[in-house]
Amino acid sequence: MNSNPLPAARRRLLPSFLFLCLLGHLGGAALLPASVVRVEIKDGKGQPVADAVASLVPLDRAPVIDVPAEPAVIVQDNEEFSPTVTVVVVGGKVVIPNRDKVQHHVYSLSPAKRFDIPLYKGEMKDPVVFDRPGIVALGCNIHDWMAAYVVVLATPHFAKSEAAGTAQIANLPPGRYRLEVWHQRITAPVVREVNVSSDPATQVIAVTLRELRQIRRAPETGGGAYR
Amino acid sequence: MKFLPQSFGAKLLALFMSAVGLTQFATWAFIREFNGTQARELINDELDRTTRNFARVTADRNTLLAAAAATAARDYAVKSLFAGDDDATLATALKSIRISSTADLVAALALDGKVRAATLPGPVPDAAFADLVRRAHASPDASAKGYGLFGGELHALVLAPVHAPDIIAWMVVGFRIDDAFARRLKEQTGIDLTFFDPAGRPLATTLAPAVARDLTALLPSLHEAASSEEAVLAGTTALVRIRPLAAGGARSGTLALQYSLDEKLVPAEIAQSRQLLVAVGGMIAAIFLSLAFARGVTRPIVELVGHTRRITRGDYSIRNRSYRTDELGRLSEAFDQMSLGLAERDRVRDLLDKNVSPEVAAQLLRDGATLGGEEREVTILFADLRGFTTLSENLPPRELLTLLNRYLDRMSAEIEAHGGVIDKFIGDAIMALFGAPVPQGDAARRAVAAALAMERALAKLNTELAAEGRPPLAIGVGVNTARVVAGNIGSQRRLNYSVIGDGVNVASRLQSLTRTAEYRTNVIVSAATLRAAQPTFNTRPLGTVAVKGRAEPVEIFAIDA
Repeated sequence: MNSNPLPAARRRLLPSFLFLCLLGHLGGAALLPASVVRVEIKDGKGQPVADAVASLVPLDRAPVIDVPAEPAVIVQDNEEFSPTVTVVVVGGKVVIPNRDKVQHHVYSLSPAKRFDIPLYKGEMKDPVVFDRPGIVALGCNIHDWMAAYVVVLATPHFAKSEAAGTAQIANLPPGRYRLEVWHQRITAPVVREVNVSSDPATQVIAVTLRELRQIRRAPETGGGAYR
Repeated sequence: MKFLPQSFGAKLLALFMSAVGLTQFATWAFIREFNGTQARELINDELDRTTRNFARVTADRNTLLAAAAATAARDYAVKSLFAGDDDATLATALKSIRISSTADLVAALALDGKVRAATLPGPVPDAAFADLVRRAHASPDASAKGYGLFGGELHALVLAPVHAPDIIAWMVVGFRIDDAFARRLKEQTGIDLTFFDPAGRPLATTLAPAVARDLTALLPSLHEAASSEEAVLAGTTALVRIRPLAAGGARSGTLALQYSLDEKLVPAEIAQSRQLLVAVGGMIAAIFLSLAFARGVTRPIVELVGHTRRITRGDYSIRNRSYRTDELGRLSEAFDQMSLGLAERDRVRDLLDKNVSPEVAAQLLRDGATLGGEEREVTILFADLRGFTTLSENLPPRELLTLLNRYLDRMSAEIEAHGGVIDKFIGDAIMALFGAPVPQGDAARRAVAAALAMERALAKLNTELAAEGRPPLAIGVGVNTARVVAGNIGSQRRLNYSVIGDGVNVASRLQSLTRTAEYRTNVIVSAATLRAAQPTFNTRPLGTVAVKGRAEPVEIFAIDA
């Protein structure tokens, strides 16, 4: 510093400049609701990742889980599940109605919830209750390419990323949380501790995705195929 | 027939043989080399094809097996077994899959690669498939191919995922690479295959045991980088190629492909032996051709040699009856020309001998017909037929010539008998030389003796003429010895050997003096001749006479018989 002294005026201004910066920063944070964490999920190439699930598990207290009365809906339409990713809390219910003209045989062999609903059309009799946390992969025993995921969480704080790759989790009591990000093609779940009170509200998560290793729906062959 | 001059025939034979032999051998060697290279290239191509074929057949079969196994695993119950932990039931399910997919081996692996069940008698270590699992995890389609050794048997393996609908487990299916599989591959390409384990022990082969044993012994010395290597296996030469068995993973053994070079070269060998036959035929043809040609060339040469010998003996009557148009024909022609030329020259020589004396002819042939001469002592004899003028008036010319020739012939004979040389005939007169062109020590004595002999010969001729009723002839002979110039006298184109000088005129003058009646003699010689002749004759001095154009008078003598 001494070898290259700043102009005297600039030196006197420096502490006040830093103070203003800090003030502005705190003021900016204070403008956002303190109970919101915005998670930006990007892949290795910096591209936004949609249909990723971000969840915050409170570390300072037991999570208060409010099971919704209404079941989540995964529709079977045009021999595909929709949506492909559904998030429920432990104890959450899901109905999987069949809107196709053909029958489906929905099953899961995932440890978190094993079930199968043999060939059926239309509405289900009873919704499926997901009572253990974990990732449940749904398939159709008739149509190998059909795949959907039910992410069962032991926390009410979660969000699914949109096309822009952002998942916004609101109504967060202050405190420390474990931020988890999952995606159907993720090579390993990302876990990060976040203090909602002090850490930046926007968390950027880079994930590594693998190729989709499911059975692909083959294009229809020939003009004489049954429709 | 005499044996041909060996050298030419033998040389020609050697030339023909070496030309034909070298050409044939060069062709043979070239074709052999070409065939060898060609066979190697063909075999290498076939080895390439077989290498690719093996990879493709294995891959296709693996893919089919994997598909069949995947179909079997689609069953919800089977899928549930893969998802559950009932390994005993899973093992029995694998048996069903093995049967339905026609695989030789099926194994079920947990997602982490742990072996849960397999259709193999003993327990299978996780390590057996660890490489496949690692590579399947890394591959986009979550599968991997490789090889494995189980119970001493080589298997081609494929690892495929079990979906539900995510990958929940792995399934390994494989088929055994045994002698039957190797034979099926050989049926497609005709190439022999042998599979070795990493320790170099043969696992499956299409080869006869003896060949396989040799190949096994040779394996460590072969190189995987070489496109192929030559090896002698059970007595036959083969091209062998070895490649690692890996299919992208760890090495599980060695594949050896081979094709018998000897077998490939069989058609070439047949062609080569035929060519050798043609070569031998060509050599034999060359022998006959060269012998015939040599004979065709040497026979006229032998004939010419015979003709040359006859010509040497002076027989010019030989003519070569040659109808050839080649160089030998031209030689024959030239030979005939030469023969004609020699005959012509001999005739000329003969005529020369008749027109000039043999001594002059010999001198001409020796020294050539050049002008010029030398001074030497010569005895000159002049003889003249007396009363020839009267005779010529009374006789018809033809008879006169006959008579004259008869006379000249007798006279010439006497002169030549005494070593004289007829210089020339001047009408009925004879000029003869003694001591020229060949020097004679007793030239003068010979000349005088010749003159007396001529007198006697004429007397004999007169007796004959009298018997014929003709009048007798008479001669006069003059002999002089003097230093004269002897040599060729005349023009460049025509010349005579003769002598000139005062002594010649004196001799002529002495001859004409014989007509002087009071001398009563037919032969007059000069004192010089008499001196040189050592007087052994009956001489009679006649005094001295003046000779026209000569200052000193000449002392003359008559010689009486």
